[in-house]
Amino acid sequence: MVVSKMNKDAQMRAAINQKLIETGERERLKELLRAKLIECGWKDQLKAHCKEVIKEKGLEHVTVDDLVAEITPKGRELQNPIVPSSHL
Amino acid sequence: MKMEEMSLSGLDNSKLEAIAQEIYADLVEDSCLGFCFEVHRAVKCGYFFLDDTDPDSMKDFEIVDQPGLDIFGQVFNQWKSKECVCPNCSRSIAASRFAPHLEKCLGMGRNSSRIANRRIANSNNMNKSESDQEDNDDINDNDWSYGSEKKGLWYLPFQNPNSPRRSKSLKHKNGFSVCTSASNTLPLLFSSSGELSNSDPFKYNNSTGISYETLGPEELRSLLTTQCGVISEHTKKMCTRSLRCPQHTDEQRRAVRIYFLGPSAVLPEVESSLDNDSFDMTDSQALISRLQWDGSSDLSPSDSGSSKTSENQGWGLGTNSSESRKTKKKKSHLSLVGTASGLGSNKKKKPKPPAPPTPSIYDDIN
Repeated sequence: MVVSKMNKDAQMRAAINQKLIETGERERLKELLRAKLIECGWKDQLKAHCKEVIKEKGLEHVTVDDLVAEITPKGRELQNPIVPSSHL
Repeated sequence: MKMEEMSLSGLDNSKLEAIAQEIYADLVEDSCLGFCFEVHRAVKCGYFFLDDTDPDSMKDFEIVDQPGLDIFGQVFNQWKSKECVCPNCSRSIAASRFAPHLEKCLGMGRNSSRIANRRIANSNNMNKSESDQEDNDDINDNDWSYGSEKKGLWYLPFQNPNSPRRSKSLKHKNGFSVCTSASNTLPLLFSSSGELSNSDPFKYNNSTGISYETLGPEELRSLLTTQCGVISEHTKKMCTRSLRCPQHTDEQRRAVRIYFLGPSAVLPEVESSLDNDSFDMTDSQALISRLQWDGSSDLSPSDSGSSKTSENQGWGLGTNSSESRKTKKKKSHLSLVGTASGLGSNKKKKPKPPAPPTPSIYDDIN
């Protein structure tokens, strides 16, 4: 029962996502989010963090994967305080 | 769609929020990824650290917060006391005076060329001039008399700075070339007031008139045909204004002309109208008695000074005929009787064309 319910949720999510993409709403939301992040300084903070990481690792040897692995969680945790209620 | 119906039916708020949160998380992750790609590219291309400056140069541009300095660390008024060395004359000049000094020193500004021109003219004057001392009041007056030009110049260095005016006045508009003395050009150079219409090559005063003592009879005659010519008592000079100048009466002008040119002298403006002559013939005798009386009481309130009475007392008879002509010209549309009495109003310097043809006007004058 629970599985089916989860399946339903997943289905629902998938459906919604699909809808969003179809109407182009997702792109719009993405741009909106990006603008908001820059405005509140999230990007600058993340950049500073990047610099540190790069300095640690050395300029030459930085790879995308490293960066992603380091930065994404940081970004996410920085971002969580911002309530995404407006997106709803 | 079936799925849609399913999702709509199964919705409640918490679920909605959960879903929204998930969508949001996805978006954030996408942004992070995008950002990573940008950074990585910057690092690899080498421009990632470009906008950073090293700490040394950062210290150079720190904001200064000390009293007496601005935020760049500069002192206020620093340039006031500094002295610059002029490349031309090798003098040290204060910074705030440096630009005007340079303008004069190099001779390239507007003012400096004017001053230079005036100096040249001055030196020409001094070389050519005969010394001719005027009264002391003239020297002290604001205008320049012939002999006291030197003093006038130094007292009033900027009275006539315009060189275009000077060259204008050098053209003899009236065609006079009577004066032969070399000193003719001198006054012209310095007359830039409104008297330029009288561009006579005579000794010229800035605003009052001409000194008649040194003029010959021909010159005088030609002068008198164009200018008022009345001699002012204070300065002993002829008025250079027009023949209708309001400061002097026609009778004064007549008197001056008679004085200089003999009793047959005629006022220049008379010659234009022929009618006047006929009128004159018939009425001159009738007017003589009146005019004689008029001549003695020539004072009108608007005229200034006692000079008029002294000059006109003796000329009562002599002025009769011309005066009638003059008034006739002014009020030519009036009847003869009207003109006769119009003489009285003429004296008051307010030409009232419809003058009442009664002798009561003479009472007014009295």
